Amino acid sequence: MISGFVFRALEGKIVVAIAILLVIAILVPALNLLTPPDSALHIPTYAVSLFGKYLCYALLALALDLVWGYCGILSLGHGAFFALGGYAMGMYLMRQIGSRGVYGNPVLPDFMVFLNWKELPWFWHGFDWFVFAMAMVLVVPGLLAFIFGWFAFRSRVNGVYLSIITQAMTYALLLAFFRNDMGFGGNNGLTDFKDILGFPVQADGTRAVLFAMSAIMLAFCLLIASAIVRSKFGKVLVGVRDAESRVRFLGFRVENIKLFTFVVSAMMAGIAGALFVPQVGIINPGEFAPANSIEVVVWTAVGGRGTLIGPIIGAVLVNAGKSFFTGAFPEIWLYALGGLFIAVTLFLPKGIVGTVQHGLKARKAMKAAVEAEKGRDEAAPVAQAQAAE
Amino acid sequence: MTFKAKFAGALLATVMSTTALSGAFAADDTIKIGVLHSLSGTMAISETTLKDVMLMLVEEQNKKGGVLGKKLEAVVVDPASDWPLFAEKARQLISQDKVAAVFGCWTSSSRKSVLPVFEELNSILFYPVQYEGEESSRNIFYTGAAPNQQAIPAVDYLAESEGVQRWVLAGTDYVYPQTTNKILKAYLMSKGVAESDIMVNYTPFGHSDWQTIVSDIKKFGSAGKKTAVVSTINGDANVPFYKELGNQGIKAEDIPVVAFSVGEEELAGLDTKPLVGHLAAWNYFQSVDAEVNADFIKEWKTFTKNDKRVTNDPMEAAYIGFNAWVKAVEAAGTTDTDKVLDSIIGVSVPNLSGGTSTVMPNHHITKPVLIGEIQADGQFEIVQETPAVVGDEWSDYLPDSKNLISDWRKPMSCGNFNVASGKCGGKGS
Amino acid sequence: MGPRSDPLPALNEVGERELRRRRQSFFRSQGFRRGGTFRPADRGEIMTLKSLLQAFLACLILSFAAPSFAQSDPKPLIDALAKADFNEAEKLLGQIAASGDARVVPALNAFAEGDLYFRKSDNLVFIAKTAGSGFELIDPLTGASAGQAAKNAVTKIKVNNNLRRVIRSAMGGLTLLSADRAVRLQAADAVLRSPSPENLDLVEAALAKETDKEVKARMEEARAVSVLSSDRSIDEKRGAIETIKNLGGRNSLGILNSVSGSIDAGLKGDLDAAIAAIESEQQLWDMAQNVWYGLSLGSVLLLAAIGLAITFGVMGIINMAHGEMVMLGAYSTFVVQDVIRDNAPNLFDWSLAIALPVAFLVTGAVGLVIERGVIRFLYGRPLETLLATWGVSLILQQTIRSIFGPTNQEVGNPSWMSGSFPVGGMTITWNRMWIILFSMSIFVALLVLLKKSAFGLNMRAVTQNRRMASSMGIKTPWVDAFTFALGSGIAGIAGVALSQIDNVSPNLGQSYIIDSFMVVVFGGVGNLWGTLVGALSLGVLNKFLEPSVGAVLGKILVLVLIILFIQKRPRGLFALKGRAVEA
Repeated sequence: MISGFVFRALEGKIVVAIAILLVIAILVPALNLLTPPDSALHIPTYAVSLFGKYLCYALLALALDLVWGYCGILSLGHGAFFALGGYAMGMYLMRQIGSRGVYGNPVLPDFMVFLNWKELPWFWHGFDWFVFAMAMVLVVPGLLAFIFGWFAFRSRVNGVYLSIITQAMTYALLLAFFRNDMGFGGNNGLTDFKDILGFPVQADGTRAVLFAMSAIMLAFCLLIASAIVRSKFGKVLVGVRDAESRVRFLGFRVENIKLFTFVVSAMMAGIAGALFVPQVGIINPGEFAPANSIEVVVWTAVGGRGTLIGPIIGAVLVNAGKSFFTGAFPEIWLYALGGLFIAVTLFLPKGIVGTVQHGLKARKAMKAAVEAEKGRDEAAPVAQAQAAE
Repeated sequence: MTFKAKFAGALLATVMSTTALSGAFAADDTIKIGVLHSLSGTMAISETTLKDVMLMLVEEQNKKGGVLGKKLEAVVVDPASDWPLFAEKARQLISQDKVAAVFGCWTSSSRKSVLPVFEELNSILFYPVQYEGEESSRNIFYTGAAPNQQAIPAVDYLAESEGVQRWVLAGTDYVYPQTTNKILKAYLMSKGVAESDIMVNYTPFGHSDWQTIVSDIKKFGSAGKKTAVVSTINGDANVPFYKELGNQGIKAEDIPVVAFSVGEEELAGLDTKPLVGHLAAWNYFQSVDAEVNADFIKEWKTFTKNDKRVTNDPMEAAYIGFNAWVKAVEAAGTTDTDKVLDSIIGVSVPNLSGGTSTVMPNHHITKPVLIGEIQADGQFEIVQETPAVVGDEWSDYLPDSKNLISDWRKPMSCGNFNVASGKCGGKGS
Repeated sequence: MGPRSDPLPALNEVGERELRRRRQSFFRSQGFRRGGTFRPADRGEIMTLKSLLQAFLACLILSFAAPSFAQSDPKPLIDALAKADFNEAEKLLGQIAASGDARVVPALNAFAEGDLYFRKSDNLVFIAKTAGSGFELIDPLTGASAGQAAKNAVTKIKVNNNLRRVIRSAMGGLTLLSADRAVRLQAADAVLRSPSPENLDLVEAALAKETDKEVKARMEEARAVSVLSSDRSIDEKRGAIETIKNLGGRNSLGILNSVSGSIDAGLKGDLDAAIAAIESEQQLWDMAQNVWYGLSLGSVLLLAAIGLAITFGVMGIINMAHGEMVMLGAYSTFVVQDVIRDNAPNLFDWSLAIALPVAFLVTGAVGLVIERGVIRFLYGRPLETLLATWGVSLILQQTIRSIFGPTNQEVGNPSWMSGSFPVGGMTITWNRMWIILFSMSIFVALLVLLKKSAFGLNMRAVTQNRRMASSMGIKTPWVDAFTFALGSGIAGIAGVALSQIDNVSPNLGQSYIIDSFMVVVFGGVGNLWGTLVGALSLGVLNKFLEPSVGAVLGKILVLVLIILFIQKRPRGLFALKGRAVEA
């Protein structure tokens, strides 16, 4: 049954994408570690962390696409799940510092020491244990999504209203994590990490492994997402997106379908956050900013929502553009970014991948029509495929 | 489906080329320095000015013949008020652009974000903003004020010359105000102020509705003792705060407010007539009467082609940091990080208040503390000036840091030496 | 310390506390000070208000007794200010006040205002008024002009808070007998604010001559506070406590509190009762004040959200560029004020009235361009308008940043927007009051426009059923365009009002956008009344949470409550009913 589930997921494009990701996962670290620095093939460590960051963003965009592109829930709060995953990882990394903090306190992180905290708050316990921390990476965002979704979907909050309250959620969390009394380091956040599982986070080898992990996790989540959308459940999901009332009238429990997808998506976002933190070296409340979540929506839209590959391409492309513009033309990068949003919504409403796919299908349909005239009737499946768009 | 593979390939190539591009133009006859200030996003309001100052300083230095016979070249990047992006950009500046030193950051979060990068890649950061202290990195120089170079002298001034006995510590809820207020509270209580005479209040970032808090301050001030407000309210929230103070009729003669984050630049957005007499504590004011300052102001106005532009304290800190670096590089004869780190300690350069500032072994500098009263023209009148004070990285008023010192000279080379246990590394256990 | 010579003690073994001590003593020997220390204030040097007034009073009584008695000439005293430091200036001020010479009043005034300068060539002190590139010098006593001086030929005499306080009370005494009613009132206020027994005879003398009712009442109060700290009889003091109790308010509380340590034991009970009475009265007023603060915050939210109630509420566009429209309005105000300052400074009080139509037209035009250029292609795809308008907002922000720079711009308050007036135990600030009135009138105007005008009818028709409206001959594209322009224009005039209480910077819009959406969604999309009730109730709720849980937590709680409320009523407070809802 599971193999069938996976097998269905492995449609052509996805296989190619997963293969590419796995090749990258091996190739990039190899080129970074094994080639001499002056070789033409050498990838500097700087680039490895940068690509690693892009991959985390890609995973976040994929998570958003699952709820937005396939279920019609436009979440403007996905940054919150990402950040919560990141904080869970950050807390693990803080505990690993041990007595190497500037005050040499074996238990308390530095920010607690100089704000005169006497003991570790209860919610920090357990985070010195990697397995627990990793469980929290999934559980905390998942739980928040579950509670939030349980109420929201049951009361049939949808459309714009849902978007706005997801924004309120991430905004409230932003304010909460800014508070120093919360015990998460306030606006400075968690930083100055030393080790992960005993390996120094700054070392080239660790970075390469983290990069590989990001690529592999992205491939894995892509597989899961693909399996979900290609299953029968996925068909219902698209039904919910396109005509929620009809699906409900057909007897499906729409709120449960939405809730499941929302929770899975939040967990993926949490994983993305957890991989992000050791690679960039800081997690702070800025990640909860509503603007960040909106940016994720933009990556997804640019790449093409409702396609699984699109968000990945969109996230990498937009962030690479951001890296380039903020370095080369810092004055105009906001113009470029703003212009991109407008251009994509106006001219590429399906996003890059969606548009290309559409073009290909149209060509196929034309060919099919030509061939149909010759007597072979192939138009029907094409029409069906288009209807699914 | 081959287009996808091609696409991914092309994508990777684009990304690679973007990262390689900026580093490709390195010429041998220039020395690059990085400028890491947000030009967009929430912090652009403060940081853009510092970017301009750095460009001006580089231009001036090049007119004087550059450094070590080479021209300086500023590499400007925009970390966009996004803390992880600060780390990314720092990494890019150091490893791709091969800059000799970086001048940048404003918020503590951004500094915390780049600190591991500078330590890992062994480069130098000059940080030009007043901050909460409690840090001393081998690779960072803190040219802004530590709490003892700003907060404590200001409180002293109020207690001495205004006879203040009751204190409101109002701040934005983030780490700098929290730490500064902790230090101040401990300091005041050590001077015999009762805890009931101290009120601590925190507000969110960008708080704009100050009605309740201003009236709370009034209430607190009606206990029959001279009251003052010590404000660590963050930049953006200050304008509405002062507007509300002015409108509710709180005069400086009744309840003076002394601020640590309000300078000429913040006042430029305000009608200061109702605020005359409220105070600020800095290490520099534009109104300082010194020749070097007059020259600097003139240069700045010419450079920005704007006669209304003001100068402020972080600009002076950037100026000191830059000149100290230039002098250290000249002394070391190289831009090599380790050599510069050795040669910079003890370097003295003129500051803009007419004296000199010396880089101390704890990577903080000496500067005088100036207390100024706001004037109707948006400038400050200096009412007190102390002799030069050494920046104290580890506060004497926090229980866990009072035994720590920092000394980056050999053989100690330690940022958190514990004088009680005699070991490097905090508690040293 | 030279870069190469290293005078610091060499570090050999692991250090001990000694190391730190030695280093500090080194710093000190080098003239550095590590950490601040309290130097006990030299009480002998600081002349207290008490002694100052004592001296002044002695002189004044003298002058009453013998009016022909030659007064000491204050001129040399004033000239001595040129070279005095703050402590010396304070003594000099005491002597100047003690001269009892009313001619010094303008000079003292100028000193407090920072308009007192001395001429470098002869160290003589003048009042200086800006004239062209230099100053016009005015004799401090006679008020006669003493010619012009270049800016660098004179030096300002520094003044600080403490001196201003001394001047204020000195002026109080000097002007209690002034012919001008307003000045006498001010003088009585000054005495009221700095109670001292030495004032007593003076106030009583002035009181005897006073005829104006209001001034007299104020002087009675001033007398009462002076009696409290004097050695008058207990009965008289009891009467004084009663007077102060009736006066009420925060200041009286401060006065009573300040004497509670030194009062006669017999009066302790009366005093405590008076304090309790004022406090309990103040508590009621505090409640009212809190409601007022809430309404005021609510009206700000209403202003910020009302434009959005049209573009988002009525048209269904998730307009993320709404905040930037507010910002553009604020910048329009700045530009208008800038032009007025340069060309017609006397019109400054009218600047806001001029800025209103300007802001409306500017932002309306920008809105029109945005609608025609971007949004009209996106009708029926509300979630995509979010992306496009977000892009628009980034571009607008960066444009403003490029033109005006990233720093705050100064937008002044016209005189009628500054200051406050008391209502019972409450303080009402003028700017807040005008903003409440302004937001209400915008609300009413908009309501009338929507419900009563032909344009409003068209607008409602188009939003309710576009195709039917179109077949009735309404030009739907233009109705869309002008509706969006209207929403943007309203946001623009909201910006004019918000420029009076907030920063004018490129980030202005960002700080309001989330709150605006919350208000509209909470109130119910598509219903102006919902926006009104939503804004005001969120404002009041916020202000009632703030004192008990703090501003930060208060805001978080409000957000959580909104989220919970939306679960209960998924379409807001005032949901649109009917079939259109499910479309």
